[in-house]
Formats: sequence, structure tokens, C-alpha cells
Amino acid sequence: MADPAIVTRPGGGLRPRRAAAGRRTLTAYLFLAPFLVIFAVFVVFPAVYGLWISLHVWNPLLDDHPFVGLQNFFDLFTPGSLTFEDFWESMGATGIFVVASVPFLLAIPLGIAVLLNRKIKGGSVFRGIFFAPYVLGVAVVSVLWRYLLDPQLGVVNAVLGLLGLPSDIPWTVDVPWAWISLVGITVWWTLGLNTVILLAGLKGINPDLYEAASLDGAGAWRKFTSVTLPGLRPVMTFVVTVTLLASANMFGQSFLITQGGPGTATRTAIMYIANQGLVQNQMGAATAMSYLLFAFLAVVSVLNFRLQRDNTK
Amino acid sequence: MKNPTLRAAAAVAILGLGVSLAACSGGSTSASSDSVRADAEYSGPAVDITFWNGWTGGAAPVLVPKLVAEFNETHPDINVKSNAMEWADISQKMPLAIKAGKGPDVAVAHGDDVATYAAQGLLLKTDDVVDALGYKESDFPEGLMAAGQFDGDQYGVPWSVTPLGLYINKDVLAKAGLDPETVPTDAESYLAALEALKAAGIQGEWADGYVFTGTFEFESLLWQFGGDLFNEDVTEATFNSEAGVKALTWMTDLIKNGYSPANVAQDGNINALIGSETAFNWNGVWQTTNEALQSVSWTAVPVPQIGTEKAVWSSSTHWMFPANKNQDPDKSAAAATFVKWMNDNSADWASTGELPAQNTVREDPGLLETYPALAPFLEQLEYAHYETVAPGITNAMAEVTTGVNEAMLGKKSPKEALDDAAEKATQLLKQNKAQYGG
Amino acid sequence: MSTVTTPTVTAPAPATAATAPAAPARTRKRRRRAPNLLTYAVLFLISFIIVVPLLWMLLTSFKTDFDAISSPASPWPNPFTTEAYGTLATGNLPILRWFANSVIAATAQTAIILVTASAAAYALARLEFRGKKIVFGAIVATLLVPGVVFLIPNYLIVDSFGWLDSLWAIIVPGSAGAFGVFFLRQFFISLPNEIEEAARVDGAGDFRIFWQIILPLSRPALATLAVLSFLTNWNDFIWPIYVLLSPENLTLQPGLSVLQGTYSTHFGIVMAGAVIASVPVLILFTLAQKQIVESVASSGVKG
Repeated sequence: MADPAIVTRPGGGLRPRRAAAGRRTLTAYLFLAPFLVIFAVFVVFPAVYGLWISLHVWNPLLDDHPFVGLQNFFDLFTPGSLTFEDFWESMGATGIFVVASVPFLLAIPLGIAVLLNRKIKGGSVFRGIFFAPYVLGVAVVSVLWRYLLDPQLGVVNAVLGLLGLPSDIPWTVDVPWAWISLVGITVWWTLGLNTVILLAGLKGINPDLYEAASLDGAGAWRKFTSVTLPGLRPVMTFVVTVTLLASANMFGQSFLITQGGPGTATRTAIMYIANQGLVQNQMGAATAMSYLLFAFLAVVSVLNFRLQRDNTK
Repeated sequence: MKNPTLRAAAAVAILGLGVSLAACSGGSTSASSDSVRADAEYSGPAVDITFWNGWTGGAAPVLVPKLVAEFNETHPDINVKSNAMEWADISQKMPLAIKAGKGPDVAVAHGDDVATYAAQGLLLKTDDVVDALGYKESDFPEGLMAAGQFDGDQYGVPWSVTPLGLYINKDVLAKAGLDPETVPTDAESYLAALEALKAAGIQGEWADGYVFTGTFEFESLLWQFGGDLFNEDVTEATFNSEAGVKALTWMTDLIKNGYSPANVAQDGNINALIGSETAFNWNGVWQTTNEALQSVSWTAVPVPQIGTEKAVWSSSTHWMFPANKNQDPDKSAAAATFVKWMNDNSADWASTGELPAQNTVREDPGLLETYPALAPFLEQLEYAHYETVAPGITNAMAEVTTGVNEAMLGKKSPKEALDDAAEKATQLLKQNKAQYGG
Repeated sequence: MSTVTTPTVTAPAPATAATAPAAPARTRKRRRRAPNLLTYAVLFLISFIIVVPLLWMLLTSFKTDFDAISSPASPWPNPFTTEAYGTLATGNLPILRWFANSVIAATAQTAIILVTASAAAYALARLEFRGKKIVFGAIVATLLVPGVVFLIPNYLIVDSFGWLDSLWAIIVPGSAGAFGVFFLRQFFISLPNEIEEAARVDGAGDFRIFWQIILPLSRPALATLAVLSFLTNWNDFIWPIYVLLSPENLTLQPGLSVLQGTYSTHFGIVMAGAVIASVPVLILFTLAQKQIVESVASSGVKG
């Protein structure tokens, strides 16, 4: 896929070419330099520094950071250690959220995109409305829904009561309701993003393919599975990957709406890691956990990538 | 090096090394002394000082700026800037801020934080300030001065105490056919009232598993049943003792017996009291200044004695002087002057719903005349329990809340929830001891 | 620092890629399914679900605290009051300052990203140089690394620069994301070589070509990257929460968290704060809606 720009230079001779290559390299690094400097300081170096920290008991408020080798990592696999139970519970929470949210974050926007792809009036108005919550930001969205879903004081339960349904559902207080709330709120917040991207992908599918399918006698569903979905594949890959990672990194909603509760049941891995490192001051343990999470996500991403690749064959 | 890649890598390495060295060595303060200078009157150069506190609710956000403005006017050399933020935010951000040199020059925090911050090297010693103020241990409720100590040195100056109390919505009692002046004082009378309310279709006390009401109620009951949170030298959690199980069971029974709904949300109980949906709420003295509460007919009384002893939870707040990186001693001295002035002018502090810690201020009859609602809270101070003092104690206390929360939500039996929490807490106490000593 | 690492995954470019298909010889009636009532009904329903909560937020901001607690089922303030806004105006939570901070930070970071990523992407797409594979490999490798891995080390690094509690910490660290470079590189590669070669024959140097030819041709991609970067920084929550300390230095997202913590169940006030945080954003969005949405739309397709 890389298309190296092959530049033909007039004149020959070994010397000028090597000098040119050297100049070329210098120029290239000049272009790269601004990015590379920031990249080195805030991406490459922290990645290594984090590993270094994970090999110590590192309390930033104390001067002594004793080296403990892989102990922080071992603790994560040792039942009964300080971090074992909490870490795996938080990983479980992240897992639950990812599994519960990603299907909805894909299916609902896809459905909406299909609808918007039809010849309708005001399509761009709808698009704008659907996209608006994302622009508002995670805090506005979370703060609003924390109120609407308050079990005693929020309108959702009040309306349910008026309809004769149970009006004391603990939306923000107990599981599994808290999960339903978190997934629902996340969908509400971000459906516009995926919808818009998928819609563009839909528009890129050649309409002739649909006509051909019609002529073959295909019904709506058949057209969807044999024309739409395959045509969306590359865009879908992008959207799936981005959505997976975003869900695995969920922090704001849990922080603002359930505070990780009840107890610590909706405390995601990211919340726990940030808390361990920056509030409990156990940076060694926290960085070790972050690397473990990275390993998990890497495996998931590779699997996802493979699956998409295989499906294209 | 001709090879640009290697050159780039070398640059990164050098940069990285420099950064890591800086980060590693960031601990030492270069303050000339680690005590706060307490001049009779501030005589240094003009300074700006920052003041962090957690007074974001009730009357405090109005009173504090007023006091600060008055101080600034009468002290032209000192300009105090007050930053109010949630208590939880302060404990989350202040330690690292101080280490980075971006913390405040004076702050107020709770009793269970002082030893922790002192052990983390974040505070300046206040022995001189305490002397200048003329304070002795006996000037404060028992144990309060000691709460601000670590390793034999004084780091805090007591400021206020905030016990729990029983808030009653008299309208609701009347609705249930009870005498609105009913004051339950023990388990029998309390349960009788709850039963009567239940017969009238009212859930009398909404019990929850959140820290500001549920945990504090649990602790009060734990002490009432003769138990304690931790052992003497704070190496082991003891809140899962029989007393603890009795205490937590009493609370979960409220739900079981229909006196409380299940799954009460945070602040659900005080809001229900305000909305006249419930009659009783165990809450802190700070609620006396809740504006919304004033729209109902309410009163507050000492918490009923459910157990075998009289006991009630109380917190305390203390002044402290952060030892920021490169802390300017003049700023700390100015802060000490500010604290001294605040203490001398604290007569109105009761209007914020906190009880002044200083015995003489509190016991002044004028106080009760102006703030009669505080009487029941003052009564309880005799047998109030304050926070446990040990560095790092707050993370162990967080386990108590987790345990209470799990039991109140019906996820675990009270015994199981407390046992699990106590096991965790004990492990944390060990970790604290290892890291902080003391 | 972005909470979302947004990688693009290279997949075989489909025959029906987004590059506008060449206009067919004969006019073609685009026969999309004719919309029916059900389609409109569903779209209206979803719009309803999105708009109503926002309206509720607005109406609640005009309720008294007592009203907000005691009559949750009714949207209409009774009485109608602006006391919530009054409390916020005299309180010490500088919501508008938070908004300004967010705008400054997001704009600055977007600017840095556009400049650095485009230059770097140009080098990687168009120039041959030693170490190219290593550099590109290193950048790609970081695409899948979750932000939390960098959270704690970057905290220490930012602290050592003295950037804690300042907007620098919000602007600089997140501006070195691999996504921008990757995305623009893809785009640059897709540009035809001829114009560039012609310019070289004319004697133009790399910088001239970059500045006067490549960049102007890349406007849509740059716009996309700009919008995505801005929104990512705007929505960033976990990093500012830990890195910003004083109330006046907060950006909007952690600021609202503080607002909620401060006023807890004083929902009238909390909603008023949320409204103040939303109105400017919604105004800007409405004005630039078409461009924003279309820019975002093309991100997935170009990827």
C-alpha cells in the first residue's frame, strides 16, 4: 500500500546521488521533527517509563521507590493480594460494558444510517440532531442523565409510575440497571458519530449493485446482507475498531453517573487504574495493570482485525 | 553520529534521562525550616496566599468569602484567595499538588487526613502556631488536638466538629397520627415510631449505603453496640466484630421490615425528608443550613441510643499548612496570621452548620441563643467519636463504605460484607504501616 | 491526552470507495428505496428521544431546588425562576471560564496536530529517507496502545515540566497522536503524483511542494482531522480531571463534574450549569453543522 514517491533526478554519478540522499534524509527529518519531538517525549518515553515504574513500589509522595521486579504483575495473578480482586473485578466491568455496548453502538447507528440513506426530506437536519449530543460532551450528557435517571427524583421513574409500571427502578444505584443506564446513555451520546460515518459509507455503495440484486429477485433483507454489508466492510472495520476501543476506555459516564457503584461493580479498569495510581498513590501497581489491559486489548484488536480480514476473503 | 535515526534516538534518550532524573528527585523541599513561623503580627513582604477548603454547601460559600474579604481589608500585606472544592477533590488532588509546588498555602481538611498528609511529608509543623494561639489540649473536645498529631509533632489546628443527629419531619409524624413532638431516644421508642409510621403507609427512615449517611450511621451504631473500627494500634480492622454485625443488621432490617425502601440513592433520604415522604434521617449537623429543608416543619434531636452505650459519629476539621515544593516561609507565616484571625473571629462560624471546636466559643451561651437548632448536636459531643488517627486511614475507611453499601443493596449478608471489607481493610492497614510507619 | 486512540485499519480498498465515482455516461436515476411513513416515524422518534431530554434540562434550570426534587414528572417550572442562574453567577464556579479554557485548549491542540501531523505525514508519504520504516513502524505500533498506559507516566512528566494545573498539560501531550499522521499519510498517498513531479521538474523544493501544493489539495482531509481532533480534546475527561487542580483552570468536562459534586442534588442549579455549558456549543454547532458532520463522515471512508 505504500507508494514510495520515486523521484527521478537528472544527472547521474554516485556521489551526487548519495549526497542527495543525505540531503533528502535531512529534509525528511526536518519535516518529522516537530511531531517526533512531542511523540518521543509524550508517547515513546512514557511507554518505557511506565514499564520502569511498574517494576517498583512507586509512591510519588515518598522519595524511596524500592525495586520489586515483576512483583506488581505477580500480584495481579495472586488471589488474596491487595490488587487481585479489585483489578479483575474492574476488568470484568470493562468487559461487561464492552460486550453490552458495542452491539448497540453498531446496530442502532447502522439502522439509522440505512433510514437516512433513503430519499428523505430534511436528512441533514436529522443528522445534525443525532450528532448534537456528541458535541455537547461527556460531562453535560452524564450530568443530565444522572438527574433524569435518579431513582427517587428523576423523571424516568416518575413517568413509569404514571404508566402503572414499577417506579422504583434503581437506574443509577444497582446492577444490572446501572449497566443498562450506562449503555443507554453511551448510545444516546455517541450514536450520531457512528451514524454519520456509516451513512457516508452507505452512500459510497454503487446503486447499480442494488438494481442488479433486485433484478435477481432479492428482497430487502437479502439486499442488505449481500450488497449493503459487504459494501460497508472497510468502513465497518474502522467503526468497529474505534467503538471497541472507546468502550474499553469508558471512564466519564461511570465516574459521573454511578461513581463506580454499587460498591465497585461499575468501576471500569481505567477508573481503577487511575485511582490506584493518582489517588492511592500506588503507581507501580497501576502501571502494571495498564500494561495488562493493553495486552488484553491488543489481543482483542488482533482478533477483530483477523475476523474482518477473514470475512473479506 | 551521521545516522539521523541514531541521533534522534540518542536525543530521546538524553531527554528522557533528564526528565526521569527530575521526576525522581522531586521530593525534597527547600524550605528553610519545616515549621510555620507564627509572628504575633505579620511583618513580612506583601504576599498572595491560597486557601483550599471543602465548604461548598450550606451557608459557608457565602460566609467564607465575607470573612476572607474582611481579613484582606484589615491586612493590606496579605491577600487570601479562597478556593472551595469538594472534600473528595481536595484529598484527591492536594497531595500531588503540594509535591508539585502547586498546592495551597493553608488548607482545611478532616481529622483523618492530617496524619496521612503529615506522614507523606506534605505539612509544616504547627507547634509554634498553637503556642501563639495559646491553645492547650483542654481547650478542645477530648482527643481533638491529638488528631492533628503525627509522630509526636503537631501538624493541625482544630477548627470545627460536625456530629450526626436525628432529623425529624414533624408534618410526617402528624400525618401518621403521632405526636409531632415525639422524640425517640432508644431502640424501643424508635421502633415503635417506625411501626406506627408503617401502619400509616409511611417508610419512616430511608437507609442507604453511602458514606455521608449510611456509613456514618453504621459507625454510630457500631460504637453504640460496644464495638470499634480498628484495634488500638490500628493494625487490624475490627468493624466486623459481633457489634459491627449487629449494627449493620439493624440497618438492613430497616429495609427487611419495610421501614425503608430498598436501593435508596445518594442523598435520597434527606431529599425524601424534605419531600415529606419520610420522617427520620440520620444526618450531619451541616444539614441544619440546608435551605430546602427550611420549607418543612423539622427539628433535630440526638440520635437514639439503639445499642448498649451512648455514642455518635462526628468528624472534625483542622487547619493545616502545606509544605509545598519551594514553599515561601513568608506565605506560611501570613497563612498563620490568617488562621489566628479566623479563630478569633469564629463566633459566626456556627451559621455554617459546623460547631466551633474551641470549647469557649462553643460553650458561650450566646451561641445557642443565636443558633438554637444546634443544641441537640452540642449535647452529643460528650460521647461523640471522632476519626481514627493513622496515616493512610482513609483507604481503609473506604472499605467500610463498600461493605455497608453491599449489605444495604442486599448483595451480601451483613456478616459477609463486613468480613470481606475487614479483610481488605486490614491488608491496607499493613500496606500503610509499611509505607508510612507511624 | 486523548482518551480515544482512534486508529485507522488498512483494509483492502473496496471498488466502491468514497472517491466520487466518475459521472456515468447516461443519467441515472438513483433509485433508493422510496421513503415511507415508517421511516419518518422512526426518525422522528429518535429525534424526540434526543431533543426531549435536552429540553428537560433547559426547563429544569428554571425550577427552584424544591420544585426540582418534589415534582419530577412535570417539566414545567412552578414557579418559574432564574435563581439557579443567580446562584451560579454569584457562586465561585467560573463556568464561562471553563468554556473558554476548553476552547483554547482544543483549538491549540488542533493547531499543533495539523501542523506536526501534516509535515510528518508528508515525509512518510512522499519522501525517501533512511530509517523511514523504523519511524513509521514506531508510530503505527502506538496506535493500539490504550491511553491509560500513558496516563501515569505522563502525569509525572508533565509535573516535572511544571505544567500541572495549566492548560499546557491539556494541549501538548495529546497532540502527538499517531492517528493524525496515519490518516494524513493515507490521504497524501492517494494524491496523484503528477502535479508534484511537475513542480519538481520546475525546481520546487520539498517545502514549497508541501506548502503550496499538497496542503491546499488536502483541505477536506485536514478539515476532517481538525474536527475530530477538536472533538476529542473537547470530550477529554480523565486526563484533565487529574491534571487540573484550581477551579479557574479547569476545562468544561471536569468543571461540570465539580459542579455536580458541589451542588449534588440541587438539580436546578446543576441543570443551569449544564445549560450554560451547552448553549455556546450548540450555537456553534448549528452554524457549522454541515461542515462538521461531513468532515467526520469522510473520516471512516478515507480510512
